Amino acid sequence: MADVALSRSSAITSRQSFLNPRRRRLITSVVLAAICILWVYPLVWMVSASFKSNSEIFAGGGLIPENPTFENFVRAWHEANIGAYFFNTLFVTVGSVLITTISAALMGYALGRRPFPGRAALFGLMLFTLFIPQGYTIIPVFELLSNLGLGQSLWGLMLATCGHSIVIFTLLFAGYFSQMPKELEEASRMDGVGPVKTFWYVMLPLSKPIIVTVVVMQTLQAWNDFLLPLVITLANPALRTLSVGIYSFRGEHFIDWGGMTAGSTITIVPVIILFLFLQRYFIDGLAGAVKG
Amino acid sequence: MAGVKLTDIRKKFGAVEVIRGVDIEIREGEFCVFVGPSGCGKSTLLRMIAGLEDITAGSVEIGGHRVNDIDPSERGTAMVFQTYALYPHMTVSQNMGFGLRMNGVPKAEIAKRVAEAARILQIEPLLDRKPRQLSGGQRQRVAIGRAIVRDPQVFLFDEPLSNLDAELRVATRLEIAKLHGQLQGSTMIYVTHDQVEAMTLADRIVVLRDGRVEQMGEPMELYERPANLFVAGFIGSPKMNFIKLRAASNGGQPAAELPDGSRLTLSGAEADSVATLGVRADGLKHVDRDGVFTGEVTVVEQLGDAVFVYVRTSWDQEIVARFEPGAKVRVGERISFALGGRTHFFDADGRGLTGVTPGNTISEARLSA
Repeated sequence: MADVALSRSSAITSRQSFLNPRRRRLITSVVLAAICILWVYPLVWMVSASFKSNSEIFAGGGLIPENPTFENFVRAWHEANIGAYFFNTLFVTVGSVLITTISAALMGYALGRRPFPGRAALFGLMLFTLFIPQGYTIIPVFELLSNLGLGQSLWGLMLATCGHSIVIFTLLFAGYFSQMPKELEEASRMDGVGPVKTFWYVMLPLSKPIIVTVVVMQTLQAWNDFLLPLVITLANPALRTLSVGIYSFRGEHFIDWGGMTAGSTITIVPVIILFLFLQRYFIDGLAGAVKG
Repeated sequence: MAGVKLTDIRKKFGAVEVIRGVDIEIREGEFCVFVGPSGCGKSTLLRMIAGLEDITAGSVEIGGHRVNDIDPSERGTAMVFQTYALYPHMTVSQNMGFGLRMNGVPKAEIAKRVAEAARILQIEPLLDRKPRQLSGGQRQRVAIGRAIVRDPQVFLFDEPLSNLDAELRVATRLEIAKLHGQLQGSTMIYVTHDQVEAMTLADRIVVLRDGRVEQMGEPMELYERPANLFVAGFIGSPKMNFIKLRAASNGGQPAAELPDGSRLTLSGAEADSVATLGVRADGLKHVDRDGVFTGEVTVVEQLGDAVFVYVRTSWDQEIVARFEPGAKVRVGERISFALGGRTHFFDADGRGLTGVTPGNTISEARLSA
């Protein structure tokens, strides 16, 4: 009996000595670093290629360009209209982020805090729309925009872009608002503050983590969206967004890899900057939403 | 300042009636405590006065005006919530001034009122902090401060001490009592389930049960002359002992029979309808012989200023008696008690009987002899 106990305790110590917390951290770091390299390498290659000429890209050199050149960027910005596409994308993104955030917060507030008949059914219906693939809705959306006279405008594209994830954002807000103590609203009601001011000055500032999450997610979505802008701008190249514009580097017989990588680099810079600024809030928001 | 008058107030949540016809008149400047077990409707009643709950029937008057259909903010009331309900993203001074700011009160006026409230509550050093940087007691003071800046006619407190630990609860209870003195003439309505808070703070206590008023009166009035079994059991700590009695007569004189068969002669107009004897721990006197009943000591609680002795009687009921400090009582010992203080008698419906007094006790041994 004593032997068994002894051998068990020695087994535990040997396992402990092999997987002590320091070593465990080290192993975790190595594994994560390996995954990170796999993940980041294509991006680094893309940035590196954007500084190389088309011939150098295929010469098989290292990641650091031998004769760094800005020619790709100049060509992409001016000749391939990436400059114009950049501002188109910016317009669509900023507009859709504003519309999405405000309307999702308002809808989430009503759904999360106001009991009204049919609320559960409405929730169910909204959830259901999450399961409809984008391919199904793209033609009706295009038809709808055309009927509204917005089929060939950036405003139409902006509106349509709002629809991608607004349901998820609304549910995120609803979940967050539903957990806020009702005494906050009651206290503000006793203070003589109306529902709109209560929403604006009390509830909305408290939902900052969710606002940041929604802003970041919608920005990424609008910025990177491809299928919807492709369909809407098909007949009007001047309205193209960056992702569609970059696709146009792919000619029938020739692909301008240098121009494409330069365009892609221009595209990802704002996204990276945004993420660096907001990542703390973003992670907090998601963690908060999951934790409940 | 103003009084509050509730007339035949009723509240239904769907088919369930939670307030069943309550009439209360709270005088101007009075500290009135609503007390009762959880689910008795005391918080609902308070929220109806505040305007946070609709009133199904009846009328609420504040300062002589019917306020049933008036917005909460215009009733002249301010509420302190159990959970404090401070806005987490605002500083203490912003929290206190929020309502005024939203209603267009000039900044200088807000600053003056916030400073005055902070002075009264001694929270001046905390004005720039956020609620999460405060302790529970400090948060509760800020919540009270938020009520004070509105300069209300009636303060409403909804179990304000329930989230505090025992020590802080006693300290804050004192603060609230002092505050009532400082805010001369302000009417305060305070909801609690803790009868000690009710006894210590109230000018008048309203005991509620199942949406009805069981009794209303000054603390000592409720303690000494409870209207029924419920109030008798609810007010006072430890709980009053209740002993079931059976009507009997002793040579033409009304008497009652204890569960062990001994008899207690009674006098008084309503002595015939006695069904329960109520006696508090300090109303039982330890005697060597000829007691009302005898029992075996099961637990001895030393409280320092008193000793509470729990005794199991021959009919298997646990009864508590108060002894002076230093009393030598051992567990397992058999001791006899006589009725040595105020006694309470109740009829079969639990209604308190007035004017009934106990006489001699005739033990079963003597009866059979």
